[in-house]
Order: sequence, then C-alpha cells, then structure tokens
Amino acid sequence: MKKGIVVWAALALLMLTPALLFAKAEAEDDVYEIATVVKITGIPWFNRMEVGVNRAAEELGVNSYQIGPADADPAQQVRMVEDLISKGVDAICVTPNDATALEPVFNRAREQGIIIITHESPDQRGKDYDIELIDNENFGRHHWDMLAEQMGGSGQYAIFVGSLTVPLHNLWADVGLEYAATQYPDMELVTTRIPCGEDQELSKQRTLELLQAYPDLKGIVGFGSLGPPGAAQALREKGLIDEVAVVGTVLPAHAAQYLKDGSMDHGILWDPGDAGYAMTWVALQLLEGKEIVNGMNVPGLGTVVLDGDVIKVDAMIDITGANADDFGF
Amino acid sequence: MRRLMQRHETYVFLAVVALTIVVTALNPNFLTMENFLDILKSCSFLGIMAIGVLVVLISGGVDISFTAVATVGQYVMAVVITRYTGNIALAFTIAIAIGLVLGLINAALIYFFNIPTIIVSIGTLNVFYGLLIVFSGGKWIYTLPDWFHKFAETRVFTLFNSNGIPYGLSIVTLIWIFVIVLAALILRYTVLGRSLYAVGGCGFDKGPAERAGINIFRVQVFVYTFMGFTAGVAGVVQALLVQTVAPNSIVGKELNVIAAVVLGGASLAGGAGTIVGTLLGVFLLAILSNGLTLMRVPSYWYDVVIGMVILTSVSASALQQRREQQRAIAVEEA
Repeated sequence: MKKGIVVWAALALLMLTPALLFAKAEAEDDVYEIATVVKITGIPWFNRMEVGVNRAAEELGVNSYQIGPADADPAQQVRMVEDLISKGVDAICVTPNDATALEPVFNRAREQGIIIITHESPDQRGKDYDIELIDNENFGRHHWDMLAEQMGGSGQYAIFVGSLTVPLHNLWADVGLEYAATQYPDMELVTTRIPCGEDQELSKQRTLELLQAYPDLKGIVGFGSLGPPGAAQALREKGLIDEVAVVGTVLPAHAAQYLKDGSMDHGILWDPGDAGYAMTWVALQLLEGKEIVNGMNVPGLGTVVLDGDVIKVDAMIDITGANADDFGF
Repeated sequence: MRRLMQRHETYVFLAVVALTIVVTALNPNFLTMENFLDILKSCSFLGIMAIGVLVVLISGGVDISFTAVATVGQYVMAVVITRYTGNIALAFTIAIAIGLVLGLINAALIYFFNIPTIIVSIGTLNVFYGLLIVFSGGKWIYTLPDWFHKFAETRVFTLFNSNGIPYGLSIVTLIWIFVIVLAALILRYTVLGRSLYAVGGCGFDKGPAERAGINIFRVQVFVYTFMGFTAGVAGVVQALLVQTVAPNSIVGKELNVIAAVVLGGASLAGGAGTIVGTLLGVFLLAILSNGLTLMRVPSYWYDVVIGMVILTSVSASALQQRREQQRAIAVEEA
C-alpha cells in the first residue's frame, strides 16, 4: 500500500508541473493587450509566428503574446477566445481551426469592444479584418509556373496535399489545375491529388509507389510542408534527382539540404512570422482609431490592397538552394 | 487441412495472396524484388511497434501510449546525438532506456491502481507527449549527424535495378527481424511468455491466474517494458527512415498499428494472438496501401478500400469460428 502512496505523490507532482511552468507575472495595464490564438502550439509554423508576435511587442510597444491549443481542436480554440474575453484584452488575433465555430464568440467579443483580426480565413464572419500575406490565386498559379519551368513545360506530374479536407491546399490545387489546363496543355496530371503532405514518411512511400506506377513521371507539386522533402528523399534513394522535378510549400531550414543537392527544385511560401507581426500591427492601428486604407504600408512587408474587410499584402517568398539558409526559420 | 482452415491466420494469408495476384495483374512492377524489399523497409517501423502491441493484447491489455513513448525516446535520442557526439549503439541505448522507464510507469499505474489499461495509456499518452512539447517547444530537428544518415543506408545485401541504382535488404528490416525473433523466443520458450496467455485469458479479474501461481505484477512489468522497448527501437528506426525528427510525426499512428495486430488475429479481449498473424496483418495493410497507388486507384477511395478489406477479413474469420462452434454444439447434442 505504501507503494500506492508514492505513486499518487508522483502523479500529483506530474499534474502540478504545467501549473508551475505557466505561472507568470501579470502584465501591466497601461499598454494595449493584443493576444494571438493559433491553431495548434508546438509546430514549427506557429513557433515562427510567435517570433513575429514577440517582435511586434518589442517594436510597437504593446503587450502582445501568442497562445494556442495542444491539438488543432476548434472547441479548445473557442474556449481560449472566451477566456480572453473574460480577461478583458483589447484585441484578439486568430488563425482559425474552424471559421463557423468561432463566429458566435467573435460576435460576443466585438459587442464588448474587442477587436477581432483573423489570418488564413478571408470569408470569416464576425471579424473586423482578415489579413492574407499571399494572393491565393496567384500562389497556386505560381506553383504551376515553377513546376512547368522545371519540367520544361510538358510531361506527367502528381499533386500532394496535406489532406483532402485542408481548404487552402485544395484551393491552390484547384486554381493551379484550372490555370494549367489553358497555360500548360502538355502537362498531364496522372492521378487525383494524394493526401500525404503532412507526413514525410508517407510522402516518401507514395513517391516510390508513383515512380513504379507511372515510370514517365516528371514532376511533383506538394502542398503541406512535409510532402516535398519526402518526395526528395525518395528521388535521392532511386537516383532520379535529375529526372523528376519537385516544387512546393516547405519550411526553408528543413528544405535547405534537399534544395542544395537538387532533389528538390523550388520552394514557395510566406513567412508566418510576418503574419504574426502583421495581425498585431493591424489590431494596433484600429485600437488607435486609425482607418485601414488602400496603399497603406505595413512596416517591412509592403503595401496593402484592401478588398472589403480583407487586407492583402503580397509577401510570397521563393526558396532556392541559394537563399534557403537566410530566412531564419 | 481442416485445422488449417480453422485458423484466422490462414484467411489473412489468403487475403495477402489474393491481393498480390490482383495488384500484379494490373501492374507487373508490383511483384519485383525491389518493390518487395522497399515495402519491407518502409513497414519496419509500424511492424516493430506491432510486435509490442501484440504482447500487450495477449496479456489482456490495450496500450495506446506507445506512440508517445516512441516520440519521447526518439526526440531525446536526437537531441543528444546532435548536440553532443554519439554513435548508433548510444542512439539505440538512449531510446530503449527511455522506453523501458516509461513502460515501467505504465505497468506501475496499471498494477497498483487496477485501472483499465486503455484509460491509463490514454492518460500517459497525453502526459508523455505533452511534457515533450512543453520542454522541446515543438522544435523540429532537421540535421542529423552524417553517421546516422550513413547507418540508415546500410544494406545486408545489395542488388542493382535496371538503371544501376542499388537496393537491397535494409539494416532497418534486419532490426525488425531481430525484434520478431526476440518476441518469438520469449512467447514460446519462457514461462513468462506462456503465462501471458493465461493472464490475458482470464479477463479483468486476474484471480484465477494468480491462484495458478502467476505473479501478475511481474507479468505486467514485462508486458509494458517490452512495449516500451519496441517503442524505443521504433523511434530510432523512424528517425533513420525519415532523417527528420518532428515531435508530432508518430503520435496519431496508434490505431494503424492496433488495426494491423487485430487484423492478424489478436483478440482485444486478451489471451489470443500470434506473431505470424501480426506479421500477416502488417503485410496486408502495407501491400494494400502500396498496391492502391500501383493499381492507379484514385486517392479518394483509399480509406474506403482499406476499411472494406479489414471488415471482410475479420468477418470471414468470425463466420468460420461460429460455424465451428455450432458444429461442436451439434456433436454434443447428438
């Protein structure tokens, strides 16, 4: 029975650990408090976003910080926004897991005068503004331009997406396919888009299978940051680096080694750190009573194109072997 | 022949053969040595964890925390070998040691509190994985040492395909075979291994097994540390295969592994399951996944087809068992 007590004590200690870790001093009251809520914490994408949010805190002199659930769970995200409302923050910036689930709580926040800014959710209801760092149509088409350039404008190719239900990945694929139909008629899609882009091991496996099923395969375009590295690994293993082109969204530091040896050919992305900074910046403008207008300049990012309540800044980045190490993420 | 037809493994084996024939008929590239060895390599990771899950299921437990155990072992191993120096033996030692300790925690919780194993493992899955995310900040490790990369490319024997590209039996597959042999020896030739079936066979109330002189705690400790051992090995193997360590890349695969083991005839109620069956279950799912692309099936249909094959295989076996039972009853009545 004594052993039982020891185990209980150990358990109690384990449960206390998070509370001890997260306990921190209360923030001051005289500056604006702008909270960013992300889809999920602890993945490189949102770690990078946090860097931008923290940069905004320093440069803009606001109390801005980032939180997010441990899983990409819409319900948990809603709860976090509710908590922030009770806490009485000045603005909330959100990268939504589920746009519909957040609508009621956004409305409640705005009734209390809290500013709501979103990212990657242009059709969001209940927001003040959404900010996009890429033009989604342009982003999709750019992938096909780069793929065509690497493939010489003709040949068979395949598409990887994160899953068949990730809205943006599938939107880019739709846009790109439509564009290719008129622009690159000699490029032939061999099979429906394959859902493996969030799993490097699976992407490698799928690439090996594709090479057997379609021996004439000339290219792969991948959305989801683990698809292109997986494909590149498979090509390395089969000595087909020069035969098959790989283009897609990747994190620069991760893709660097594949871009350098040519197993991957071209990466395209935007910097989530910029997104974190830009959301906080927009929130601050509104809190200070300024209006968002066409042609405004977001520091370090470029000029704003206003489309209703969607703010667009073109901050797409091209990643190659030469610059992959310079982005810092 | 009739005894063979009563075994669940026979049905899974027939499914594997049937599937191989269908895929090969549609794409002759499937039945090549190169593709076969590639499949063996890529399913080693799930296959190693499947052996651990089999042992847990036989003992009457269900563990889903093994993916978190594998992740923690893998991550700590990667941090040590990238930050300090190391070699492959150290890499495995670190991951396995962590696996054993976390397995021991599972065993202790299960034995002392007598909580259903699945609940314990849901809890420990979250605690282990959660603490890793807290301390690592979810940082990915992209650049593993050169020797780690070279070891991953080691082959037991090397062949060349028509383009002159080398392929062969990967060291990773050899590690899997080692785990299989180890488990087979324990299950078949040790008292501990035999008593697993007895403990698993008596359900939640372990009284009968205890009265038969079996030390339940010893059995539980063995079961969950062995699960931890396989998880640790699998963690290193996954890093060898992918050459990137991401804290969120293994958690979430629990059900794939459990499905393969159950497909291979292990019972979720405990007391039943064989290594041959488990391997067939792993092969069936691997061939299915590989074959769907080779057969040029649109990706939208993958999940549907995989689900159908699992259902067909499991119900064919269940039907056969029921027929046997009815026959037995008929004999008794006569």
